[in-house]
Amino acid sequence: MKKIITLIALVIAVTVSAQSQYEKGMNKAFDLWEQNKTKEAGQLFERISKAEKDKWLPPYYAATIEIIGSFGLKDEAVLKAKLNKAQGFLDAAKTLSPDNPEILTNQAFLNVAYMVFDGQKYGMTMSMKNSALYAKALKLAPKNPRVIMSKAEADMGAARFFGQPITPFCKDVKKAVEFAKEEKISEKFYPKFMFKRAEQILQKCEKS
Amino acid sequence: MRATIFLLFVFLQLSGFSQSIIHGIVTDKKGVPIEGANVYLDGTYDGGSSNEKGKFTFKTSEKGAQTLIVSFISFETFSLTADVLKMEKLTVKLREDVNTLDAVTINAGTFEAGDNAKVTALKPLDVVTTASALGDFVGALQTLPGTSTVDEDGRLFVRGGEAEETQMFVDGIRVFTPYAPSARNIPTRGRFSPFLFKGITFSTGGYSAEYGQALSSVLLLNTTDEALEEKTDLSFMTVGLGVGNTQVFGKNSLSVNASYINLKPYQELFPDRNKWNKPVQALSGEAVYRFKFKNESLLKVYGAFSYTDFDLVQEDINYTEGFRFGLTNRNLYFNTSYKNSFGDGWKIATGVSFTNDYSDMNVLDDKIIDEENSAHFKVALKKGFSNRFKLNFGAEYFVTDFKENYKGAINGNFNYGFDNNIFGSYVEADIFFSKKLASKIGIRGEYSELLNEFTVSPRASLAYKSGDNSQFSLAYGRFYQNPKNEYLKFNTDFSAENTSHFIANYQYVKNKQILRVEGYYKKYQDLVKYDTQFSLPTSNYSNLGEGYAKGIDVFWRDNKSIKNLDYWISYSLLDTERDYKNYPTKATPGFASTHNLSVVGKRWIKDWKSQVGFSYNFASGRNYTNPNEVGFLNNKTKNYNSVSLNWAYLVSQQKILYFSVNNVLGTQNVFGYNYKNTPDVNGTFQRQAIIPNADRFFFVGFFWTISDNKKDNQLDNL
Repeated sequence: MKKIITLIALVIAVTVSAQSQYEKGMNKAFDLWEQNKTKEAGQLFERISKAEKDKWLPPYYAATIEIIGSFGLKDEAVLKAKLNKAQGFLDAAKTLSPDNPEILTNQAFLNVAYMVFDGQKYGMTMSMKNSALYAKALKLAPKNPRVIMSKAEADMGAARFFGQPITPFCKDVKKAVEFAKEEKISEKFYPKFMFKRAEQILQKCEKS
Repeated sequence: MRATIFLLFVFLQLSGFSQSIIHGIVTDKKGVPIEGANVYLDGTYDGGSSNEKGKFTFKTSEKGAQTLIVSFISFETFSLTADVLKMEKLTVKLREDVNTLDAVTINAGTFEAGDNAKVTALKPLDVVTTASALGDFVGALQTLPGTSTVDEDGRLFVRGGEAEETQMFVDGIRVFTPYAPSARNIPTRGRFSPFLFKGITFSTGGYSAEYGQALSSVLLLNTTDEALEEKTDLSFMTVGLGVGNTQVFGKNSLSVNASYINLKPYQELFPDRNKWNKPVQALSGEAVYRFKFKNESLLKVYGAFSYTDFDLVQEDINYTEGFRFGLTNRNLYFNTSYKNSFGDGWKIATGVSFTNDYSDMNVLDDKIIDEENSAHFKVALKKGFSNRFKLNFGAEYFVTDFKENYKGAINGNFNYGFDNNIFGSYVEADIFFSKKLASKIGIRGEYSELLNEFTVSPRASLAYKSGDNSQFSLAYGRFYQNPKNEYLKFNTDFSAENTSHFIANYQYVKNKQILRVEGYYKKYQDLVKYDTQFSLPTSNYSNLGEGYAKGIDVFWRDNKSIKNLDYWISYSLLDTERDYKNYPTKATPGFASTHNLSVVGKRWIKDWKSQVGFSYNFASGRNYTNPNEVGFLNNKTKNYNSVSLNWAYLVSQQKILYFSVNNVLGTQNVFGYNYKNTPDVNGTFQRQAIIPNADRFFFVGFFWTISDNKKDNQLDNL
């Protein structure tokens, strides 16, 4: 009997480990990311997204890593190559999960990367695209703290560009923090709200 | 015991998870190791990165045939399907991706504007913030090299060609009447509002076989694919009012714009040299409807209607009472296009345009009614066989039906007209030999029903990337165009006029700096000639005209050297002569100047919440004929100079106040001279200078955008 229990336990263990291969992979990718091994993390997200054809989170994160990596680049050829790659991941994520406010926000983030690189060239079209993306995301998820926060940051960026105060948008950041505290996330590896970043911005708000 | 066996079996199963090791090396074509490539088995979690020596190694428990993927940014993804056990000591050579920004581009003859272009000569905002352009995209293009300043006309004159030698296309479909009507000596404007377009390609020669019926140049305007948000735009200007509204509903969007221009108040404040019986009044409306299908294919319907009227008397040395010109014009334009991707690498773009243009003119005491109905039908297909070989082909049909009714005060009543239908088709291949060498080879055939003539035009271009930032390109092409309407209405026994272009281009692009130098030679053949002072029904016509244009165009744009200042300089050297129309001999035509220079600068001043811009245009003197001396086109006017300034002030993010002044310094420019038809008592022909109607032009506007999003403004609308 004992043996049988062991056996069952073993079999369960094997199947469980098979089921959680996704979780293991994702955890490993996040570990790599935390260790600043962004290239490896990105590549693992890429592999997972190729293996798990029904999950939007792996391509979402693969895109995020490429987008973050594109800030501060000087060479437009590299920028475009990276952002094209990120766009490919986002498109894959969009097909798996259409009308997803997180993906819409990430798309806006990608567009910001272009605007930051060359405002004269990309500013006009991208800012219009982004306001449409935020409008859509807010319609889908009016209380999503990441959407509210991302929009507030974009508004602040525009205000700074036009030499206007950023204070009107501080209340949006506060609102985002409140919503984030109330938020209950059930899906594993779902994007998290960046409390630290919100704090930093609120500090700037107090200064100005 | 049974349990033990079962357990053993399970363990066997587990040992079935025994792993094999996949290893090898990743290099580029030359064998240089690639670090950081993502190497993995497709559909599994197993994989790794190549190290600084290009080496990769990873374990997998997969069995049998698997697909190994090697991907790295800026390279084509490699894949290999084989038994995992055989994936040892692999050598993977990655091919460079030719679709990257740093790959060679075929660009001889071409300027691009918009954010999708690899090298952007003009950025989207430039079209509307260039001081001398007054919000007209044609005006902005006139600051690029290869164009001549012909300020009394306003149209594009490219490389010694007449304005009619440039054709415009919206989404690949021809625009038959691209310019708004105007009186002589008053510059015209493009009919389209600049914010309709996401990209503009301006080719000053050597363009693709997809385009025909243009001797010198094509201007390709691509409209935006989707309206992004709902908003209402209001404009209050010294010259009129405008209103626009965009609605987005699901996969549909509809944008409507209307404007009313009336120059009466302006002309009362700033009188010009003309006597206006009826100041310019223009009412125009346009609508764009876009629909995105489930499969991402896109349908766009664009319609525009405009009505213009004015009546004026201009001083003229030959008419003591002045030269009267009155016009009522209405223009209707439809453009429908559809594009889709299907199958394996296929793309289709198809469209139809239709134009109805009706003009009722009073010239002196004569009355002329012109009516043109034109249509263009086109199907273009693209097939990408690989990243490196693409085939484009298509067919099109142009229909033009032109009618004129002439009621002369003395000469009586005449009717003219013609049907000019042309069938065209083309094939063109894009070939990338490597990231550094590419070419485009095509051929175009056209059959003109009116001239009963079949023409064949070969086109070819080649580009070589000589360094990280520089490239050379060459282009050759032959271009046919049927004679102008003003000849066809009197005579149709013609051949198509034609040109051959030879272009060599050098381009250097580095970090917000662009240098572009282009030399060209253009040969004109079979130009129309006639033997009377004006083209008349009774003239004798022939195709015996010919000519050439050669020169060098230089473009320098710099957004780096001087902080917060973005500027560009264009210089064109043009040497051209032709024997056409009623020229007794080969000569440089009056619209061509040898030297053309434009300097445009703009600066955003944050503390003033303002963008200020200036532009300076210079053109050397143009030829005119002085009948008091021997010869034809025997004299030159003085040089042309004009400085323009603009200032856009952001009252708030949605309200903009805009000022601009053209020719601030009030330079007295002369475009040519009008001589009296008969000599005076001393045997001298008296003359009158052809000068602008007003020395300066002022513009003040207030633009207000109302939308949910408080950031939008009409900076892109100016």
